[in-house]
Amino acid sequence: MDNAKSKTAPVEVYEPFRAGLPPLRKYWRSLWARRSFIAEYSRSELREKHYDSVFGQVWLVLNPLLLSGVYFLLIVIIGGHSDKMRYGHLTACLFLFYFVSNTMTGGVKSITKGGKLILNTAFPRIMLPISATVVGIFRFLPTIFVFFVIRTILGFPIGWAMLWAIPVVVITAILALGLAVLISTINVYFRDISSFLPYFSRTWLYLSPILYEASALKHNLRSLEAFNPLFPLLNSWSRAIVHAQVPKATDMLISLAWALGIFIIGTYYFLARERDFAVRV
Amino acid sequence: MQSESNSTHIPGELAVSVQHLGLTYTTTIDRRPTLKARVRTLGRGTKHTRVVRALDDIMMDVPYGSVLGIVGANGAGKSTLMRVISGILPPSQGRVEVYGKVSTLLALGVGFSPTLSGRQNVELGGLAAGMTRKEIASHFEEIADFAELGDAIEAPMRTYSSGMFARLGFAVAVTVRPDILIVDEALSTGDAHFKEKSLNKIKELRSDARALILVSHGLGTIRDVCNEVAWLDKGKLIKRGEPNAVVDAYEKFLKVGKSAAIDEDI
Repeated sequence: MDNAKSKTAPVEVYEPFRAGLPPLRKYWRSLWARRSFIAEYSRSELREKHYDSVFGQVWLVLNPLLLSGVYFLLIVIIGGHSDKMRYGHLTACLFLFYFVSNTMTGGVKSITKGGKLILNTAFPRIMLPISATVVGIFRFLPTIFVFFVIRTILGFPIGWAMLWAIPVVVITAILALGLAVLISTINVYFRDISSFLPYFSRTWLYLSPILYEASALKHNLRSLEAFNPLFPLLNSWSRAIVHAQVPKATDMLISLAWALGIFIIGTYYFLARERDFAVRV
Repeated sequence: MQSESNSTHIPGELAVSVQHLGLTYTTTIDRRPTLKARVRTLGRGTKHTRVVRALDDIMMDVPYGSVLGIVGANGAGKSTLMRVISGILPPSQGRVEVYGKVSTLLALGVGFSPTLSGRQNVELGGLAAGMTRKEIASHFEEIADFAELGDAIEAPMRTYSSGMFARLGFAVAVTVRPDILIVDEALSTGDAHFKEKSLNKIKELRSDARALILVSHGLGTIRDVCNEVAWLDKGKLIKRGEPNAVVDAYEKFLKVGKSAAIDEDI
């Protein structure tokens, strides 16, 4: 050190992390200060995929709608069922499932494609998977609108209990964010995770009560419920938005516990590994 | 680093203090680490990562009103040191104190998204670095002017040449008026005209009582603008002091002597 030692306190001090995590309060503060980055980045991502244009929006809605049509055909032909509530359940659940799955697909590469920004700028890296989740939310919102058109045409019951759909969406968003954060970290270490993701999503789709209702499941398969956070979540979603009934309290609580659990584990893993990103991407 | 500070600093006052800084990190050997490769080599004892000792017990102070030049061979740890000072990499040992707002060249992450336009990249990079929309908007004209990109500022950055990239990066770094400016081999890709312009800008900033850290292989520039030079090799600080003395020693080390090639190109 030379004689130039100054008396004023430093603006920033960088020291080794204690306990493997960055100082959380400071992290949160700098994350909050950069919230407009999240808004701007997700907006430009949406614009890049042309979701700001009419046809982009139409495609956003058309894609899951066609998909639900295909699955419905399958159920009608193979299963021999043809009731409209069944179609409502299928469509609503498919839309919610695609919210989670699209967020994961969008988020998996959020760190690895951040290249230059991660190499040359000091900022909370978690902003990148958060932006991916925001994009997921904006892609999900128009599908809710479409579902409301469908359920009006089909004359589904209407009631105050439908408002329970709001906390369900919030829980789903926490779950999707947790998964995006977790999977984006894993993808830094294993770059082929993003290639496995479509198979994983498809399997998850079939193992979730979307093409069937949970109550219709055989007894020996009921144990699946314990391992799939989407079971209680989709049950609550379907009851609220399709049947206009109050969801079961246990379903709500279990899905909230899942969502928070995955979010906390994902965030912990992310924060503990974050300093590695600049030397790994 | 959050907001723009236009506070004037007294020359000689400490800007950056690096104390016993050490940095060790683990990185992959494979260019693209995959689960597949990991599974295939399971049980064979293949190593997938290596530990890099990038910086070792670095001590250095940078006062305001001075230009510190950093020289060293490729892989000496120059860029790593700059990343620690700008808070991108947390240190493994020691401590870094920064007494002002730091801006690295390309620190604004300019050009991270090739599909977005130059303007959007500047805006996003600025927001990521913690600037407000207002601050960015107030600097934008000046940045576009200095970079001399014309209409290309609205074109996707994948259409940019490397010179255009460098110009935009440099323009962003110098126009946001950081207290501490880090320039990392940035002048190398501009044309002669832009090189001179950026050199002048650096000299202007020096007289402005800011602190500058210049990482360059262009030893001519280093001799020309720096007050002090530090020579890094394999993560260690070899020599530090008066520019000509350090650069001479470094040149001797390189066994190339004073040749036109290293003197001319920045």
